[in-house]
Amino acid sequence: MLTRTEGIVLKTLPYGEADLIVSYLTPDYGLLKTFAKSPRKIKSRFGSSLEPLTYSRISFWGKEHASLPRLTQSDILHSFYLLRERMDYFFKIIEIIELTLNFIQEMDANKKIFLLFLDTLRLIEEDYIYIKKSFNKEDAFNISRIGLLVNNYKVKFLKFSGFAPKIDSCGRCGNTGNNFYISQGSVLCESCVKESSVLVSGGLSMIRLSLPVIKFYNALMTWDTRKIIRIKPSMNLLEELSNVLNLHIKYIISKPLKTRT
Amino acid sequence: MEQGIIENLIKELSKLPGIGRKTAQRLAFFILSMPSEEAKSIANAILEVKEKARFCKNCFNITDEEICSICRNNSRDSSKVCVVEEPSNIIVIERSGVFNGLYHVLLGALSPIDGITPDRLKINELIERVRSDSVQEIIIATNPNTKGEMTAQYIREVLKPYNIKVTRIAYGLPIGGDIEFADEVTLGKALEGRREI
Ligand SMILES: [Zn+2]
Ligand SMILES: [Zn+2]
Repeated sequence: MLTRTEGIVLKTLPYGEADLIVSYLTPDYGLLKTFAKSPRKIKSRFGSSLEPLTYSRISFWGKEHASLPRLTQSDILHSFYLLRERMDYFFKIIEIIELTLNFIQEMDANKKIFLLFLDTLRLIEEDYIYIKKSFNKEDAFNISRIGLLVNNYKVKFLKFSGFAPKIDSCGRCGNTGNNFYISQGSVLCESCVKESSVLVSGGLSMIRLSLPVIKFYNALMTWDTRKIIRIKPSMNLLEELSNVLNLHIKYIISKPLKTRT
Repeated sequence: MEQGIIENLIKELSKLPGIGRKTAQRLAFFILSMPSEEAKSIANAILEVKEKARFCKNCFNITDEEICSICRNNSRDSSKVCVVEEPSNIIVIERSGVFNGLYHVLLGALSPIDGITPDRLKINELIERVRSDSVQEIIIATNPNTKGEMTAQYIREVLKPYNIKVTRIAYGLPIGGDIEFADEVTLGKALEGRREI
């Protein structure tokens, strides 16, 4: 059966002599892995359309539940080639590709996440173009909004996929608190920690959160991305949030898929 | 039982790239009809490659000696080093006949997502060569894709302190094609890399 959809290339894996296995993020099929015949040949009709981050309209042929469907066509809708132009940018974007690959499953359609991904790429590209035009090229990375956009993606992605950490208040009683317990994926207030034995099983790894980071996180959780890009968080704030999110993500990934709740 | 051994040979041959079941079958029956000596020399050539092939200590090309024949060749220009991803790339560039310098094989390309970090490639060995040999130009001929491009940028960064010329092979359109069929990225890069004639 020939199927058409849209997709963004997350990753490719060389296969055999000149073939590729291409993993797409799609709105209709979640993570979609396809087999592409001979794209690594210089004159391949796939051209550059299978490079990471390329947003394309694709067709693939496969029987339902059969192994890898075969990619028959990919027409570029937007290449995002600028995001592959610089190592520092691309390596930063790899963080959101990795997060997505770790959580999204095949046949697990999630339009919200697809749109978030696409929107994030668009905004990073807009920002990159603006900065490239207005400032010294070498400094682009440091003054860009990419750090903010990557954090924004991570927070909203975790929210849409049901893995958001609870940071605004105690996860057990709702009181205020600022100690984040990694194994609980949540802030716990002092009295809940005292009377609870849950921590013993999961270890006591804890991070103390600053008030600004809690506020920042709440903004990312609730505000639309277009509004987010108007704020200018400090490098320290971005780093503090990145650190909490990365530890939280690492903890969830370390658990087997089925027990991730 | 006779069917068993020929079936086995077909199965083994079809493991080779580009060899489907039909071709494997044809090859198997051809081998069967060959003089024993010829068949043996094919088998021996395969065994020899597996037993003797190793990486050149200098450039990581495939060789059966400590230093490969390209590195040993005095008539080659040792001031230019062409950096490639795989040993097989050397054969292709050699066939073009336009390069007379030396090579350096990275044995892969950067891909953090797959755990291929700089320390997994022969990049430190390249820096070492730049330091100790009389290299004046590094030509980066990694693949024209994202992994190859990131690898090229990374190498350019780490070689900055050494003040040598670092060049990248040009992005262009494949010869013999029609511009109409080129995608926008390939065409854009070809335009960027245009030259005066
Ligand atoms: Zn509490
Ligand atoms: Zn050599």
